[in-house]
Amino acid sequence: MTYDRNDTPGTADEYVLGLLDPRDAAEVEVEMERDADLKAAIAASRERFLPLDTSMEPAAISEGLWRRIEAALPVQSKSIEKMPPTRPANDNRRGWRMTALLAIAATIALAIGLAASLMRIQEPLVIAVLLNDAGEVQAVVEDFGSEKAVVRMLADFDVPSDKTIQVWTLPSRETGPVSLGLIDGIHSATLDGPVLPTPQRDQLYEITLEQAGGSPTGLPTGPILAKGFAKLPR
Amino acid sequence: MLTGHAPDDLDKALAACAKGDRTALRGIFDREAGRLVAVAERIVRRRDLAEEVVQDAFIRIWTHAHQYDPTRGSARGWIYAIVRNRALNLLRDGKREHTVEEVDALRESEQVNEVIAAWRKLDRNSLLHDCLGALDETKRHGILMAYVGGYSHGEIAGRLRIPLGTAKSWIRRGLASLRECMA
Repeated sequence: MTYDRNDTPGTADEYVLGLLDPRDAAEVEVEMERDADLKAAIAASRERFLPLDTSMEPAAISEGLWRRIEAALPVQSKSIEKMPPTRPANDNRRGWRMTALLAIAATIALAIGLAASLMRIQEPLVIAVLLNDAGEVQAVVEDFGSEKAVVRMLADFDVPSDKTIQVWTLPSRETGPVSLGLIDGIHSATLDGPVLPTPQRDQLYEITLEQAGGSPTGLPTGPILAKGFAKLPR
Repeated sequence: MLTGHAPDDLDKALAACAKGDRTALRGIFDREAGRLVAVAERIVRRRDLAEEVVQDAFIRIWTHAHQYDPTRGSARGWIYAIVRNRALNLLRDGKREHTVEEVDALRESEQVNEVIAAWRKLDRNSLLHDCLGALDETKRHGILMAYVGGYSHGEIAGRLRIPLGTAKSWIRRGLASLRECMA
């Protein structure tokens, strides 16, 4: 990363003007999906410069251009289902590492509290303590593997009626983020997720706020409420 | 920080596109394609490539309409950004099939006129017009060359005959002044 992370408005302007080198521009595009401030700064920058485009004289357009477009349009519903994961979800490695360090501290504290629950016959394979940006514990995910995970909500979230909380994990960067399920309202829940590889230590778990019914793309699109890395219960 | 704006027809058209309504996409085409081709052509410098850019962009608008979020800027800004990005990518990938000499000749003759023209076409009462006008000429030209013509830092430094580092820092400072002026 060569652009200045501490100058979000400046980075946004340079991105919008096309002045970032291609590698940085690609990183900004990944980052903006996770960083609401950056996304807002880019939107604001686009609006500032947009009059330079909209004040142009339109070129004469042939009907042929529309015909070429129309001939290439995929059917809409299928195009959404088939849409491959286009962006690596875990490019913000430094950010995750920071969170991981906080998570370790929180996990140790919570592990003591969880000791009783670990006495159960079936033990989770991994436990992830999910923290918000401020480092506060928001939820715990216990992943039992075999398509079952339990999420325990430890904080109140403001979930508008047209939104829902969605639980995600990142089995590997190649797989991309995978939904474990939706939480109806704000309470702890048992999730029947898809068949996934056995959860590993340091596997990422996160909860995001998505539109009701879950993310339309099958990938996290909404703001991240909390995230954390899996630890192995001892 | 949200860039609030009133929902307009383009917002509705994008929502309809997300549901598979081709007439909505056609509506966007009828309304914006002429200007979008002109915007792309200003960057890629060839009409055929500009149409290719706009063709690809409309397919992306169609397949990604569901990702447009009205709380994060206007539908028009989102649509133009798709076209601009594709035009810039084409430029950076070097697919524009002019020889270096042709490009140099084209750019040398057109660059200053074109960026000044873009600035002059802005509404005289607009904040962007005034705030660009308040910048030093070099900073203004650098910013306009980047946005209007898709020039890189290196190309701008060459055209303005200043060192690369100077061009970068002048543009950065110019952009900061512009943000402050327009805030």
